[in-house]
Amino acid sequence: MANASPPPPYSSSSSSAYPLRPLKSALRSRQQRPPEVLERERILLARLQTVDQPREKPIRDFLATRFYKFVLLIIHLLFSIYLKFRWAYHNILNRGLSILYYHHRTPQLIQKDVKELEERGKLPEHVSVVLEYERGGLDTLIDEVSEISCWCASAGIKTLSVYEQTGILKSYISTSHRSISQRLHSYFGKSRPSIRVHAPPLSSLHEPGEEGREVDLEVILISEEDGRESLVDLTKTLCDMAQRGKISSEDVSVELIDAEVTENTISEPDLLILFSPSVVLRGYPPWQIRLTEIFHVQDNSGVGYQVFLRALHRFAKTEMRFGR
Amino acid sequence: MMQLQELLVNALRQGSVPQHVAFVMDGNRRFARSNHIETVEGHNMGFEALAKALCYKAGVKVVTIYAFSIENFKRPLHEVNALMEIAKIKLSQLCQHGELMDRYGASLRILGHRSLLRQDVLEAIEQATEMTKHNDKAILNVCFPYTSRDEMTTAIRDITATPGLMDIESITEKTITQHMFTSDCPPLDLLVRTSGVERLSDFMMWQCHQDTDIVFSDCLWPQFDIWKFLPILINWGVKRRKLEKGRGDVEVRGVGMGMGVGKGGGY
Repeated sequence: MANASPPPPYSSSSSSAYPLRPLKSALRSRQQRPPEVLERERILLARLQTVDQPREKPIRDFLATRFYKFVLLIIHLLFSIYLKFRWAYHNILNRGLSILYYHHRTPQLIQKDVKELEERGKLPEHVSVVLEYERGGLDTLIDEVSEISCWCASAGIKTLSVYEQTGILKSYISTSHRSISQRLHSYFGKSRPSIRVHAPPLSSLHEPGEEGREVDLEVILISEEDGRESLVDLTKTLCDMAQRGKISSEDVSVELIDAEVTENTISEPDLLILFSPSVVLRGYPPWQIRLTEIFHVQDNSGVGYQVFLRALHRFAKTEMRFGR
Repeated sequence: MMQLQELLVNALRQGSVPQHVAFVMDGNRRFARSNHIETVEGHNMGFEALAKALCYKAGVKVVTIYAFSIENFKRPLHEVNALMEIAKIKLSQLCQHGELMDRYGASLRILGHRSLLRQDVLEAIEQATEMTKHNDKAILNVCFPYTSRDEMTTAIRDITATPGLMDIESITEKTITQHMFTSDCPPLDLLVRTSGVERLSDFMMWQCHQDTDIVFSDCLWPQFDIWKFLPILINWGVKRRKLEKGRGDVEVRGVGMGMGVGKGGGY
């Protein structure tokens, strides 16, 4: 039965198109074989073809590459046009929203905007924002920190951590403190909330005697060095302790590292607000963003109250489920 | 339809393609609930969708997926057991000769805290990784059971446990990176999370917190197919191209038709 079987269909399909290489023709000539051997050969041939193709037809290949590159160019072109339209649409939308929702430097208005969230008990305790130095220089940066601090203070958020990659803000803690205070004054008038501004390692700057006192808003300025670098430092410390026999490597646990990291930098934020057009974390501390809600507005760039508000609303809607 | 797909994928190959893509396969349970199928079955379809979206064809070298979190052990026991059974079946299916893995020359790796797994699952993993070990064109990382904090902790613990490590000052970010499970993979270029959840949920935090593009997609994982994935890839390519132009990297530009597209993965 095996001997009488007709030649399988594959042998006729491709043999006419290109001259067969010796190995292939040798394989093909041995057609009267049991099916499993034929199957084997078929797989082998399939492999041979894919491997040999580039060498067999360089011109064809070259043209194909050209063609695919051209298609890619078209795709990119069309996609760029689509992105432009999307950008325009989102920007009009954002403009509209920022007119609709404006704080007018009035804490009462902000409170009204977040009232519903507060009632549902879904207001984040610790909000983190990512700001960019390159966007407008130091003055803009401090201005943005002051504005966001005021929004947080008005909304009743207790902790605000401000991430800026280069860490330039850390050298201007007192300037930032002064700027925030002034801005708070313009928002709240005489009875303004108390603040504390500091940067890790937690050397806080405020009037003496205020240490440990409960404040309305705590502003923490962090940078790239509080991310990987702080973990490297921790590793060094742990290595040192292990070498001196103070701990064994078995003692290194998630809890231990978490306690150390939280103590030395920031705790895990509930909400991270990006003011960039897409989600790129730019070196934000990796340990802390475990369950943090990451919010961004597509195609938005720049700090805006409506982004802040939308982030809070988005946060309130999500249900926290541990373990996905 | 298939031809169009083929054409697009081939075209994309000509531009810069992310070398390492990670997925959080989210939305299986919700998909199961809304389509009135058993949860376990929902997970099953998730795996099928993954196979569909496998993007080695487009030139991606490493795919990392979050299959099971250490936190997932807190779920009902029957569900955990069912997941383990599925994992066992899928592992063996994935690695059959001539199947998906061999077709793309991909080797399978299981990343995570393996000591938490049952013996029979461990054996299945052992077998599957052994069978695909010879493939060296691409890698499929399956995080199972994994959390990023556990990974970082393991890395730090391993460093402290290194015998004869005298020079503490020589420890850098690189040292830690080299002790991660993904140490021999290219940097993570793209992270995709489905089902509209905008959280990392303890996944690849060390790997994704710098330049990685993080994309949150609203669609549920079982519905995430090549047509959902292609726009993300194209968007990544367009962005990368702009970045290259911005940097003025003239030498890596493609020659043909005045396109500023880097060849292969380099940029």
